[in-house]
Amino acid sequence: MENLLDYSSLFLQQLVNGITLGGVYALIAVGYTMVYGVIQLINFAHGEIYMLGAFLAYTLVAILGVPFFAAFVLTILICACFGIILDFIAYRPLRKAPRLAALITAIGMSIFLQNLALMIWGSQIKSYPREALPDIFFKTAWNVGDVTLSWLQVFILSITVLSMVILHVTIRRTRIGTAMRAVSQDKTTAALMGIGVNRVISFTFAIGSAMGGMAGILVGLYYNAIFPTMGYIAGIKAFAAAVLGGIGSVPGAMLGGGVLGIAEVIGAGYISSEYRDGISYAVMIAVILFKPSGLIGRQVREKA
Amino acid sequence: MGFRLSGQNHSRVFLGLILLAILLPWLPLGASTNYILRILTTAVLYMILALGLNIVPGFTGLLDLGYVGFYGIGAYTSGLLAIHFDLSLWLILPLAALNGALWGILLGAPTLRLTGDYFAIVTFGFSELVVLFIRNELWLTRGPMGLPGISPPSIFGHPLTRDWEFFYLIVLLLLVVLVVVTRLQDSRIGRAWFAIRENEIAAQCCGVNLIRYKVTAFAISASIGAMGGAFYAKWFKFIHPDMFKFWESILILCLIVFGGMGSIAGTMLGALILIPLSEVLRAVLPQGLFSARYLIYGLVLVLMMRWRPEGLIPFERAQARKARVAKERLKI
Repeated sequence: MENLLDYSSLFLQQLVNGITLGGVYALIAVGYTMVYGVIQLINFAHGEIYMLGAFLAYTLVAILGVPFFAAFVLTILICACFGIILDFIAYRPLRKAPRLAALITAIGMSIFLQNLALMIWGSQIKSYPREALPDIFFKTAWNVGDVTLSWLQVFILSITVLSMVILHVTIRRTRIGTAMRAVSQDKTTAALMGIGVNRVISFTFAIGSAMGGMAGILVGLYYNAIFPTMGYIAGIKAFAAAVLGGIGSVPGAMLGGGVLGIAEVIGAGYISSEYRDGISYAVMIAVILFKPSGLIGRQVREKA
Repeated sequence: MGFRLSGQNHSRVFLGLILLAILLPWLPLGASTNYILRILTTAVLYMILALGLNIVPGFTGLLDLGYVGFYGIGAYTSGLLAIHFDLSLWLILPLAALNGALWGILLGAPTLRLTGDYFAIVTFGFSELVVLFIRNELWLTRGPMGLPGISPPSIFGHPLTRDWEFFYLIVLLLLVVLVVVTRLQDSRIGRAWFAIRENEIAAQCCGVNLIRYKVTAFAISASIGAMGGAFYAKWFKFIHPDMFKFWESILILCLIVFGGMGSIAGTMLGALILIPLSEVLRAVLPQGLFSARYLIYGLVLVLMMRWRPEGLIPFERAQARKARVAKERLKI
């Protein structure tokens, strides 16, 4: 009986960790899915924006001595601007080019940014100095049996949920959200209805990048590790989450992120920790093969 | 549009290069001969790899981000066969190519039904899984300890050890691959690939069996990649999972984008310029900056797509080539 209790509390702990991780994946996945919805491009550089978010916050907090919450907001704003600039210099000129060209550009930008970060910050793993972070992060918020939930996890989860709700309301209830949905359905018709398509695309990049940057800060806090290649793995996992939920669908990205986070933590705990990253790839490949429209996505067109 | 080599010049330049390659080991370059030969062997190896990859994005218009997976499969096939069964290179090369093709078909047959973006992602996932497998299945691959002690190839009982011997071997291999790729390009299969690249739906309407030709392209590309890997293992005599990371796929993609996607001459030129460039950077840059050298490759991808998407030597259809050469002859 004692043993069984241990077992179930371990499982619950894994579940809590998995949901936290999944929330962060969902934050990144939203950026992929929104950009894909609007311009049908897999923005490979999105993972790098997430990485830049972590590094920018690190630089602000650890080197410039900015208070943590101010740095948090500032980083998100910078990342949003960065997303707009990325679209403006890299993708906008190729809007009418073949899709392969834009895809290759996206990969090129991803490699470029990753190595730029390597040049600026070096390959050593950085972490936020503990004294610069609010003390409360390291206290236990909730403790039932052996299951613990730290305030940091509470912070991550509540930020995630809050931004998801704001995003959902923005897309469903506001003028710009309506415009985004219109552009994602049909760019030409949307333009004929007087929607500034490029403005909407910029807005999409800004929102997606802001959430990606935010995810970067949160993961940097959670794992206490910031390094130039962090965006590459997280980016692919988040993309897997977006695909799992159905690419182009924002609620799908949230669902996919949650499912993937839990699957990864449980899989690493019970199946094989060596293949931890492999679980996401395998899930992604399986979904793409057997149900390309994802869990709640709309039907994927054969050829755009 | 910039410079263009005419068909006639193409073959002259090509013959000149072959002659140069044959003479190269005997030129009086002093102590640096072996160093130069090693760099050039690498460059020619990448030419082969780039020619193999070129079949998928260049000829067929599908983005393949997992090419290095087949390179790794070939290298480990070669290394394991050499260590456990002591096979000769002439058996290992076709076996590795066959294994590559097999995996190409296994991966391609279900995934090539997907749209291009999804295909790119699946190939990426595949190559990552290959690396994870190599890293974790210690019983087979020794994982992160790498696979040392691969015997050098031998010809008529004479083991190859010198740099010029390997250089000749890889040039020979390049010639074989080159013949295969050029013949394919101008064949019925090649025309089907170009049709798919230009317009999938139109190609299908003209009776091109999309899946069959795409899988063919993918399998041939995979087998060339695997063959490159097989040579690499026998040449370097040591392989390690880190040699087959995602970066390699990007590097090879960069070679063909730079040289000219779909263009055979361009693909080779891209490798000939960018691979030695990496060595130059190694000599010029301090260690910290050198590790960030991929920045340049990323930049090359972005800038080429923006300003010269056709690459240094643009791809040209056989008929257009013939017509242009005939026209130029008339002028003279």
